[in-house]
Amino acid sequence: MIKLHELTIKNFHKKLLDKEFSALEIAENFFNYIKEKDKEIGAYLFLAEDEALKAAEKTDLAIAKNENISPISGVPLAIKDNILIKDYLATSSSKILENYRASYDATVIKKLKSKGAVFLGQTNMDEFAMGSSTETSAYQITHNPYDLSRVPGGSSGGSAAAVAAHEAVAALGSDTGGSIRQPAAFCGVVGLKPTYGAVSRFGLMAMASSLDQIGPITKTVEDSAILFKEIAGYDEFDATSAKVNYDNVDKPDFEKVKKLKVGIIKEYLSPDLDSNIAKGIEKAISEIKSLGLKIKEVSLPNVKYALSCYYIIMPAEVSSNLARFDGIRYSPVNNVDRRKLNLLDLYKTNRSLGFGPEVKRRIILGTFVLSSGYYDAYYNKAQKVRALIKEDYKKAFNDVDVILTPVSPTPPFKIGEKITDPISMYLSDIFTIPINLVGVPALSLPVNNWQDFSKLPIGFQLVGRHFHEYDILNLGQFYEKLKNE
Amino acid sequence: MDLIDKNTLKHLADLARIKINEKDEENLLKSLRSILSYFEELKGVDTSNVEPVDGGVEANFMNVFREDESRKNSLTGNGVDSFPSSKNGFLEIPSIFENKE
Repeated sequence: MIKLHELTIKNFHKKLLDKEFSALEIAENFFNYIKEKDKEIGAYLFLAEDEALKAAEKTDLAIAKNENISPISGVPLAIKDNILIKDYLATSSSKILENYRASYDATVIKKLKSKGAVFLGQTNMDEFAMGSSTETSAYQITHNPYDLSRVPGGSSGGSAAAVAAHEAVAALGSDTGGSIRQPAAFCGVVGLKPTYGAVSRFGLMAMASSLDQIGPITKTVEDSAILFKEIAGYDEFDATSAKVNYDNVDKPDFEKVKKLKVGIIKEYLSPDLDSNIAKGIEKAISEIKSLGLKIKEVSLPNVKYALSCYYIIMPAEVSSNLARFDGIRYSPVNNVDRRKLNLLDLYKTNRSLGFGPEVKRRIILGTFVLSSGYYDAYYNKAQKVRALIKEDYKKAFNDVDVILTPVSPTPPFKIGEKITDPISMYLSDIFTIPINLVGVPALSLPVNNWQDFSKLPIGFQLVGRHFHEYDILNLGQFYEKLKNE
Repeated sequence: MDLIDKNTLKHLADLARIKINEKDEENLLKSLRSILSYFEELKGVDTSNVEPVDGGVEANFMNVFREDESRKNSLTGNGVDSFPSSKNGFLEIPSIFENKE
């Protein structure tokens, strides 16, 4: 009997090589399981069974021929629906792309395909990645596997729920203000937002281009390092892509971990923090101390402005990036008769029927902050405050190597609880947003044995210097080893 | 004073090529006003000697060049095939100029 819930990328590879199972068997098992389990979770929008089984067979063939296979060969992955896989539907959970099939592979997909990864299907998300609960999806609600009445977080809620419910071994998500890390924390799994520029965004539907990154969602930090290494690297098709060597990123070294200095942000030590989140943070700090690391308080005086700053900059970029969706170029919008409308009315009709309320709100807000007369007061001001926040982090990283923070101010909330109040929804990203403004990498991981004090998953966040994913992944791997099984 | 009234909202929606029906208008106005009032906190931040940044990583700010090689262009292939409506490899749209007759 194959136990899908025990599979990680790491042990899948070992068991595959030990001939405990074939990649095809595992893929078939996943589809059987998903077809039952996903009725209650709602993580997947589309399944790609035929293509996945074919890809799995290739891995088995390579093993039969004694060829060397990659650590992710045959690994069943779930992909967020805003990442293009050639010939697959790619909707970003929006009606405006209801009929769109990707015409090329995203760079991350191309890389994973060439290493033999298996794509089970695409996962549900907030429409165009705008939301923190996956409730703005035009298609379905995704439920938190730990409590079906609660949200999985968002916007990569489908990917995080799929991994947590063992409907995939790992997944890809995208993170503009916390969209990988917050759902990972809500679902008790591991999410990495890499440094801006570390992973190519070619083939990721752009939301806010100065903030977006693709990253892995996995069951362990060890897996996060393996998958990150596979998708990272320079790409000429992304102008912001960096040339950085990540060859050793998956090779933990305790001697290096012990030397790391960990910072705690003074401004975040608030009595308002949810009591279980506070307990989790305390526990994580004391366990990290037990590894022999030094903890130091640091100050980020301007970080309190990050939310305002983000909700000016992000919608500005959204309003411009989403101008390309007109219901003409990519996919027709259902129930619009294009022959009866002139061009302007066709644009307006398509966009009004195709976009949901949150997307429209952000496009209009972005149009406002960029409009003449308000540009200086809002957009330009926000870009200046962003410079101050960046400077705060730079100073803090002179004193410490890693910064530890909460991921979300609360555990997963109820479905429907925040969807009608945008500000309260936006506030759920208060600890993750500054990271994207600054562009540094951050890892969201579960507090060890959170089940001992909380019914719902509790996570925390490790933030590193630009391109120092190694530090946070290295520390995270030694931290997760302290878990009592 | 409210920064956004119904007329401003209508103008913004026009610029953004979105139609807003009356039912959504009130909700949208209410939420936009509360978001904009949240931004008030930025007014007090001293940014007098600060240059705005666009994001990105400073160490990575550099010109990116590539060899100026010729590349093949075509009006066929997956990109064109995915157009909902096309003619001779071009995207087909409703006519822009009105016929006066």
